[in-house]
Amino acid sequence: MKLGLVIDLDTCVGCHACATACKEWNASSKVSGALSDYEPFGAHPSGVWFNRVRHFEVGEYPESKTVNFPMSCLHCADAACVTVCPTGASYKRADGIVLVDQEKCMGCNLCAWACPYGARELDEVPGTMKKCTLCVDRIYDVLLPPEDRQPACVLACPTHARMFGDFDDPESEVSKVTAERGGFALLPELGYAPVNRYLPPRQPAAVVGAEETRALLDRGLASLASPAIRR
Amino acid sequence: MKPAFSIIFFTVGSGAGLGLLALAALLDLAQAGGVASPALWRSALLGLVLVAAGLASSTLHLANPRNAWRSLARVRTSWLSREAALSLALFPAAGLYIALEARGVAGAGRMLLALLTVLLSWGVLVCTAMIYASLKPIRQWHTLWTPVNYVLLGHWSGALLLAATAGAYGAAPPWLLMAAGGLGAIALAAKLAYWTAVGRGAPTTLAHAIGVDRGVRGPGASPAAQARLLDVGHSGGTFLTGEFLFVLARRHATLLRAVALVFGFALPLALLIAGLAGWHGVLALAACCMMGLLVERWLFFAEAKHTVRLFHGDART
Repeated sequence: MKLGLVIDLDTCVGCHACATACKEWNASSKVSGALSDYEPFGAHPSGVWFNRVRHFEVGEYPESKTVNFPMSCLHCADAACVTVCPTGASYKRADGIVLVDQEKCMGCNLCAWACPYGARELDEVPGTMKKCTLCVDRIYDVLLPPEDRQPACVLACPTHARMFGDFDDPESEVSKVTAERGGFALLPELGYAPVNRYLPPRQPAAVVGAEETRALLDRGLASLASPAIRR
Repeated sequence: MKPAFSIIFFTVGSGAGLGLLALAALLDLAQAGGVASPALWRSALLGLVLVAAGLASSTLHLANPRNAWRSLARVRTSWLSREAALSLALFPAAGLYIALEARGVAGAGRMLLALLTVLLSWGVLVCTAMIYASLKPIRQWHTLWTPVNYVLLGHWSGALLLAATAGAYGAAPPWLLMAAGGLGAIALAAKLAYWTAVGRGAPTTLAHAIGVDRGVRGPGASPAAQARLLDVGHSGGTFLTGEFLFVLARRHATLLRAVALVFGFALPLALLIAGLAGWHGVLALAACCMMGLLVERWLFFAEAKHTVRLFHGDART
């Protein structure tokens, strides 16, 4: 089993619903305990989050594009955080989920140094490292209706940009959509074999002809014109 | 990386202590003429004390130290675990060896313990360095030069301390000072080679990290398009920004590198070559060297660029 997420960069609008839902779910979760907030009503609020959405701009105008990039633990098949952990607090389960055993962690930060994606954060209150649990307490909870047995972030996404499933099952939604859309892993050359996949934005085929293209170019709307004709 | 003073004091102090311990035990094994046994066991003891102080300092870095004893649990995979295990083995071995040498007990048992002390000291040096060198997201650390430098620097600072102690409790023969100088020259060369290698290394770019070459771009944009951070997604600091987003201006880095080279290498080497006499002088050189190495270690952290910085505004690591 290789449980993980697919995040569709085409439909993500960067609303942070997934990040907020994760924080809310974990506030009552026993797996990692509540994610601490530092000075939540003070001058410099900060806190522990498992899921963070960052926003990038790719390319130069008029070909520029805003990309909203949610990032949480990628539950790597060969997770560096598990390898470097001296106490064994960081471990990978048979179903693929990488977890931190809060009873064993000594807060040395080495796993955070080893993770290229910044998935792990120190929670200063208990002094332990915390990370995305893939909502292990939701996905196996038989008291929840089957459609709710998914990570909180997946259920919260208003544009259905997040999917959850088993990448070892070729018939699962995550496997199929990864194959169809060319889902990719982040920084694969580091050798940690991340399981989560990101789907690149769809590139629509231009449907305008040569005349319309000329008109668009004259109006400065080059991004709507066919790249082939422009070249 | 944010330089943590507890770790800087740990690696410099403990590194010097391990180098000193290894060299003192090696000289005893080799029965090298000219360095009296009282000097050797006191040197070894100083080394062991430095290692203990360094390790104690390193526990200040832990956010949850009551679980520190668990750090022995993963010697099969974790360099930190291996370092903890070997350090733990080092204390009884070196302690017993020093006690035997101080009592004047000779024989195969003491020689065996001396050998064990040397091997365990080298082992701890390598394991400590590999904690850093094994981290692929930090390209400035992920090089063979990291353990090479750490071992050489530990022996260079340890050799100066040995020469000082030898001078204080007997005599420091000229060949010992020359050997220390030789170690210093090799360590200097290795440090310069490391900085050159890191300067030439290939950085990771933000564009590659977010998959611009895998289709994350607008229609019409080329796969070689650049990417930049628009919004980091939080209005305040986070654990990641505190731990990894240390900013070091280039002119400060250049000045600090010069300080490290002068105090850590050039000044001690020059004065050794000039024939600085007396153990007070050599002790002052050892202190000067350690000051320089503290700056060098601070830079080792400050100049390191973790890939997570790419998601917080850096264009490349």
